[in-house]
Amino acid sequence: MMKYSHSRAGRQFLVLLLFPLLVVDLLFPLYSQPAYADSTSYPPGRSLQDIIDAAEPGDTIDLPPETYQGPVVIRTRVTLRGGGRATLINTTVDPAITILADGVTLQSINVQHDQDGKTTAIQVKANEVTLEGLAIHTGGYGIMLRDADRAKIIHNRIRWFIPQGQPAGERGNGIDLYNSHGSQIGNNEISYLRDGIYLENSRNTTVDGNKLTYLRYGIHCMYINGSKITNNVGEYNTTGAMVMGVTNVVVSGNSFAKQIRNVHSQGILLYDVRTSSITNNLVEGNRVGIYMEKSAENELRDNVALRNFIGIQLSQAAGNQFHRNGFIANVIDAEAVDSAENVMNGNYWDSFQGMDVDRDGISDIPYAINPFYQRLISRNSAYQLFFQSPGMNFLSDMFAGDKASGSVDQAPLMKLDTKAPIGAVRKDGTVMVTGWLLLFVSVITIIYLGVLRS
Amino acid sequence: MTDILQVARREVKMGFRNPWAYSFLALFCTFSLSLLIINSQNIVQGYSAITGSMLSLVLYLLPLMTLFLGAFSLTAEKEEGSWQLLSTYPIGTLSFIIGKYTGLAVVLLVIIGFGYGLMGLISGLLGTSFDSSTYFLFLAFSAGLVLLFLTLALFIGSLSRNRWQALTISVSIWFFAVIGWPTLLISILGMVPYLWVKPLLVAATFINPAELVRLFVVVKLGGGSVLGPEYFQWVEWIQRPNGNLLFMSVCLLWILCSIVGVYKIWERGRTHG
Repeated sequence: MMKYSHSRAGRQFLVLLLFPLLVVDLLFPLYSQPAYADSTSYPPGRSLQDIIDAAEPGDTIDLPPETYQGPVVIRTRVTLRGGGRATLINTTVDPAITILADGVTLQSINVQHDQDGKTTAIQVKANEVTLEGLAIHTGGYGIMLRDADRAKIIHNRIRWFIPQGQPAGERGNGIDLYNSHGSQIGNNEISYLRDGIYLENSRNTTVDGNKLTYLRYGIHCMYINGSKITNNVGEYNTTGAMVMGVTNVVVSGNSFAKQIRNVHSQGILLYDVRTSSITNNLVEGNRVGIYMEKSAENELRDNVALRNFIGIQLSQAAGNQFHRNGFIANVIDAEAVDSAENVMNGNYWDSFQGMDVDRDGISDIPYAINPFYQRLISRNSAYQLFFQSPGMNFLSDMFAGDKASGSVDQAPLMKLDTKAPIGAVRKDGTVMVTGWLLLFVSVITIIYLGVLRS
Repeated sequence: MTDILQVARREVKMGFRNPWAYSFLALFCTFSLSLLIINSQNIVQGYSAITGSMLSLVLYLLPLMTLFLGAFSLTAEKEEGSWQLLSTYPIGTLSFIIGKYTGLAVVLLVIIGFGYGLMGLISGLLGTSFDSSTYFLFLAFSAGLVLLFLTLALFIGSLSRNRWQALTISVSIWFFAVIGWPTLLISILGMVPYLWVKPLLVAATFINPAELVRLFVVVKLGGGSVLGPEYFQWVEWIQRPNGNLLFMSVCLLWILCSIVGVYKIWERGRTHG
């Protein structure tokens, strides 16, 4: 019934055998996992805990496609592989899998954790752990790392679910790191939880290529100096990436779109961020594209803010550099308050009509962000009702003399080089047909009721 | 009922023979098409720069057009003596007012229909990506704006003695409702206690059709979150399908109250006049 493949050839054979299954399971979302087997299919006599306890350090255990019961504690350095078909179900408040030994690897196991709140599916308290290709259904947290350095968390899918016959409980975070440095978190798919990837006090972490949807914060990080957040994609979250209290962080190549549901939604939120570089990000269709507060000495370069309600919003952000960012089709490109002494150069603001006499592609008149509205609503947020009211724009323009004290782009671009994705709506010809019809009806009405003498 | 239809029919006929109607029609078409062409590279969907600027254009132009055409039509009745003549006929004042309102509404809605028809057609030919629900929302928004401002126009027409007076009052009402509104409110609300600001602002919004309709459209376009946490519940209500009903009943209430008010003014004029 149970197979241990200590031999190299056997292991290779098993990998070959299981690889197609793994691919199939990766292609299909989580709900394709096998239905719960009834209790008779549990390995008779030996629980998963017994199997793990019997292993020697360095062993690789290939689990047959069975359903196992948690919780499980791993105290030796083993590699546990599920081939995408082995499922672990845990109904206790303890973690489904607790890893206490350094160098443990978990691969392609389905984990279902039927508890909510502070409980977690996988808890790691050791260094150099690899978690790869796991499919985690959890009512609470997904993966929790505590004092665990240099972990590798890749290609996992983590999703919130409500255990059958229970009310919806309190959600936890997808991947939650505390005091765990130098980890690599890549290509995970996380959805419907509280925060997708939560990093606290975890320096030099790499967060790359993750897909984060329907969360509160896609990426939520504090005190993670020297980390890199790159190439992540977020949609329909309250906020795409919330970065706070950090220095020397790289936020690059991310795309955060459609964060508009909440009144506090943003694409990227930077709070108390210093000497960091925010480059090549795309924020599209959010309430606020990039929100920056109390942050200094950062460089924002080559970012594109497309079709947001507010492209970029600055509050008490001073001494930052803004170069070659594109602001396109936002309801309002920029708002700033108490944010003087930022260096803005060569950004593209599509609502701004520049003038280029010497034809060098750079406008000869500067673009200044009007601080009036932002200042007004910071005094009383009830005035947000006037957002982009024609009268509000009229009033702001009357206070144009005040602009000099705000943020000014001294050399705005006339044209943006990078081709921003325009996007498309489904064309079904409805508008055109309705147009024809309306035109026809109105002309007939005019002729029949107005022109003809009756 | 036949009285209402007679008055409405006469109003429509006069409306379509009025050169003012066509000049506004041309103005509306020119500006909406220009906006469409400027933004032909972008898609028209949701709350973005193009829908924001279209919203502003509609807010500037349509109320002005409605106030002029509506108010002039009523003062003309007095100036040209046709009301004095009609007063001798057995025609009810209410029938007259409702007939006038209906007739003017038909004229204005046809103008809007023509403008949007042309816009839809041209955007189809230009290959602009125009989301159909956004298009219908704008159509409904413009119709609502016209119907609400028409009640104001009837008031202005009833209260002013001649077209010059109607013109002056129309322009000042338009200015306060569309352009000076935030300035006016911010300055007045600056003097009241902090906690009164929000309720007063909401109450004031209900009496300004321009703001009422604008906010409804912004929320329906999905931009409700930009109004901030203060109006979260309002936004929730409007976003639901019931929101349309709520909005329509507010508009209907507006129109009914105004027609009754205008009727009182004219009835008084008829008996005392």
